[in-house]
Amino acid sequence: MNRRTPIQNFFFYLIIIILLLFVLGPYAWMISSSFKTAVEIQGMRPTWIPQTFTFDNYVQMNTTVPILRYFKNSIIISTGTMLAALIIGTLAAYGISRFNFWGRELYIVVLMATQMLPGILFVIPYFMMFKWITDTFGLPMTNTFHGLIFTYTSFALPFSILMLRNYLDSVPRSIDEQALIDGCNRFQALYKVIIPLAKPGLAAMGIYAFIMGWNEILFAKILTSTKTRTIALGLLQYISQHQARWGQMMAACVFATIPIIIAFTAFQKQIVAGLVAGATKG
Amino acid sequence: MKNVRLLGYIFILPAVLAMIMVHIIPMGWGILISFKDLTIRNIRNWQEAPWCGLKNYIKAFNPVTTVGQRFLRSLQNILVYGVVTISVGFFIALGVALLLNKPFVGRTLVRGIILIPYITPDSVAYNFWRFIFQSRIGILNEMLLRIGIIQEPIMWLVGRNTIWAVIIASIWKGWPLTSLMLLAGLQTIPMELYEAAKIDGASAWQCFKYITLSYLKPVIKTIMIMNILWNFHAYNQFVVLFGENVGIHAEVPNTLIMREAFENYNYGQGSALSVILMLMMLTITIVYLYVFRAQRDE
Repeated sequence: MNRRTPIQNFFFYLIIIILLLFVLGPYAWMISSSFKTAVEIQGMRPTWIPQTFTFDNYVQMNTTVPILRYFKNSIIISTGTMLAALIIGTLAAYGISRFNFWGRELYIVVLMATQMLPGILFVIPYFMMFKWITDTFGLPMTNTFHGLIFTYTSFALPFSILMLRNYLDSVPRSIDEQALIDGCNRFQALYKVIIPLAKPGLAAMGIYAFIMGWNEILFAKILTSTKTRTIALGLLQYISQHQARWGQMMAACVFATIPIIIAFTAFQKQIVAGLVAGATKG
Repeated sequence: MKNVRLLGYIFILPAVLAMIMVHIIPMGWGILISFKDLTIRNIRNWQEAPWCGLKNYIKAFNPVTTVGQRFLRSLQNILVYGVVTISVGFFIALGVALLLNKPFVGRTLVRGIILIPYITPDSVAYNFWRFIFQSRIGILNEMLLRIGIIQEPIMWLVGRNTIWAVIIASIWKGWPLTSLMLLAGLQTIPMELYEAAKIDGASAWQCFKYITLSYLKPVIKTIMIMNILWNFHAYNQFVVLFGENVGIHAEVPNTLIMREAFENYNYGQGSALSVILMLMMLTITIVYLYVFRAQRDE
């Protein structure tokens, strides 16, 4: 392509800088506020740089709201969702990718269609279904980890399966056949040969399920209470009708972002590839 | 051969069972109770709640009732929200994708950075936006006052401006994914096409229109339908920015249904509203696919 003139170059980078300010500005505000004193936040005109620098918000964020417990809850729920989605999803994706059975096309269409359904349609039935299961079988569902893991897994599955199937389709079938000739049965072929080859695809799928569990609010709001509340909901508790603890909330926000940032930086390539594949092939 | 087919079923069985339990049955249940007068009084014995025919559905579209009035307004709000958020977000995304498709120093870094809003958890992102939008202690009003665009602090989170606050925050959060997908689409366009076009004397605009856009069409098609459907799902941004009381200017179907079901305890009514929402999304998807298919055949 053409070389840019110095003036064009100047404007080009100017736009890039404005773009970065737009994207990163809110984070700068979050981080700087998390180091401000409550007096500064409430009493002075807002500034980008804290006038008195303090770690108090980080020290005290757990006394106002049990954010560490909510963090632990979210870790349990998101990890559970990730594992369940990985196991069930891998089997299903392998099934669709490798076998030609009656109803296969229909099943794929159903998978695509379920993603379209509004979550709100399920909230009320879930609320009732959980009550009904508890009343009938004596198995507690509302306000339990397994209840929420069950819910999230099922909502993460359709996209996970489609995403992983795209990936498995790119692994040649001859590899399976070779494994079968070498004396593996189908499950062994999947477990010993295909899964190691499909690691990037599995990583993308696992992270997708984990992030979904970490972010979800709608169902968590109805199906959890103090014991199992997730961090996404916990963050809202810093603002009550009597007091708004913005500094602590910003500290907790920084804290809640860390696992996602770690997960994302570790698997950035796979996640991006997975998302893009979903978009361009769908 | 038969064995192989059977194996296929075994592999998808757990997923199918899970989805029957979590999608099909609850959906049927939801549709069923939308025809019932189900409230806090009879939630435990939901089977015995009286049938009420289409009452919940008729109420939803009757502007004389409170629910109807609120529902129609929530549809109006989600329409404004969706049109502005999707279109502005799309143009930012397209502009940035075109920019990032050009070689420059630090491109990989910039591409990584613009994805940060997308991966930030919703509750975190909308919570800091809530803080940014605070009228007295928020940074947005402070900056606008400093530059002199406004003379008085704006009340972003109360009253008329609420819809704009949620639109701004949603655009900020939503465009990176669109941009990423467009960028992936741009990278599939062979460079030779542009060179050939240039030799033939095509202008930059013609290149954009006939090469870039026509190559991006399938990606744009996917992005648009996804965005339109997600727009109807919108809930997190509203509940995080405004807390329990969204207020009439930013009430959307999801927040209304949640309130109707879990604050007013009209479960039947709430279900009816969510079934209507589902039917609307279904209609939109079918019309959308139909229109695009018709175009392709031309």
